[in-house]
Amino acid sequence: MIIDFSLIWDSLPALLHGVTVTLRITAFAAFLGISLGTLFGIALTTNYRTLHYLITGYVTLFRGTPMLVQILFVYYVLPQFGIMISPFWAAGLAIGLNSCAYVSQIVKSGIQAVPRGQIEAAKTLGLTSCQTLIYIVLPQAFRIVMPVIGNEVITLIKDSSLASIIGVVELSKEASIIRSTTYDAFSILLAISLIYLIMTGLVSILIKKIEKRYQPYASRM
Amino acid sequence: MLHVCNLTKTIRSKTILCDINFSISSGQVGIFLGRSGVGKSTLLRVLSQLESHEEGSIFLNDEPLTYKSLGTTTGVVFQQFNLFEHLNVLHNITLALIHHKKLPSRQAEQIAKTLLERYGLQDKAQDPVHLLSGGQKQRLAIARTLALDPKIICLDEPTSALDPHLTSQIARFIEELAAEGRIVLLTTHDTYLVKRLEAQLFLLEAGSLIEEASQKKFTEDPSKYPKLQYFLDHPT
Repeated sequence: MIIDFSLIWDSLPALLHGVTVTLRITAFAAFLGISLGTLFGIALTTNYRTLHYLITGYVTLFRGTPMLVQILFVYYVLPQFGIMISPFWAAGLAIGLNSCAYVSQIVKSGIQAVPRGQIEAAKTLGLTSCQTLIYIVLPQAFRIVMPVIGNEVITLIKDSSLASIIGVVELSKEASIIRSTTYDAFSILLAISLIYLIMTGLVSILIKKIEKRYQPYASRM
Repeated sequence: MLHVCNLTKTIRSKTILCDINFSISSGQVGIFLGRSGVGKSTLLRVLSQLESHEEGSIFLNDEPLTYKSLGTTTGVVFQQFNLFEHLNVLHNITLALIHHKKLPSRQAEQIAKTLLERYGLQDKAQDPVHLLSGGQKQRLAIARTLALDPKIICLDEPTSALDPHLTSQIARFIEELAAEGRIVLLTTHDTYLVKRLEAQLFLLEAGSLIEEASQKKFTEDPSKYPKLQYFLDHPT
């Protein structure tokens, strides 16, 4: 099997376009998943039972069904209820909502891992529950779960390839189009594998830098 | 003056504190003694309003203490210090000043720096908390509590996490806090600290206060307080 470098070179503009779409889907899904997932994670550590049941139901649904089905559901079923949505946003929404289910559990475990003494100390200093959450609990919880959140973002980059099922021309779809016209699966799949590897590698480095920044004060010195 | 009347606390129908009564004046040190598990720490937590109680009342100068008293009226120095490890030394103190007292950052920092200087930590202001030694952490914990200028300071086993040679230093800090007119309440197993302080001694057994004496009266005639004497002779 021979690698056709000229084909890869000629396909680069199309592949780079695919990269931008992949990154945009990932960024939107990560934003939605982390922000909503954090709120859900916080809610799971409160005493509101109704919220617990609702979020647990949501998590069970999104963790228990394939992401592919969720993307198809958002794209094909929502319009039947009058909600028109483009393939790009349908994919971003479905992937983000799926990620939210996982992030909520990650944040919940992070909050629960913060020592009880920290919350008591905040209480003795007259901080309200909300101030304790913002200034004491969340900074420490995120420090604990940062590596797992990083893994979640890397997973999102790879999961974004599922968006191709509803016609979003992201990286894997661009490769698929090139493969169907050139019949050279090896070269082009090798190229996109490398591109995915570079993207996930760069995100890993970025996450490591953020992790280091939020590590206990001293480790940065 | 702190008045504690008929204080009772139960957890899952088990009585932890039973009908506790005592008074202590401003500027005095109160030491709760007793074997592990008799309810000393729980009593301290209830007095500081960290925990609720079912029966009885706690009054400071005829004003009832409530959970809102936490911070400004009562301050707690924990056995394990519970310092905020994600913040530096200075920010451990300024946090409550900025967010509870709503002081501007500059004023909060000024107060914090004064407290750090008082406790010999002025050079550590920007340091991470986990690089401090046990004694330094203890001093920071006291400074953090003092930031809100509480009238009652509760210290749970203040010398248990420290080297024995630091006990004198802690005793001096406690005396200073009392000299400022604060009520200082503490639990300890450290008989050296008990003997070192001019304090009111309270002996607990199974959640009840069984004997009380001032250090001075106890020293004059220990035989009048046989249970206290036995405990201090056999503290472990």
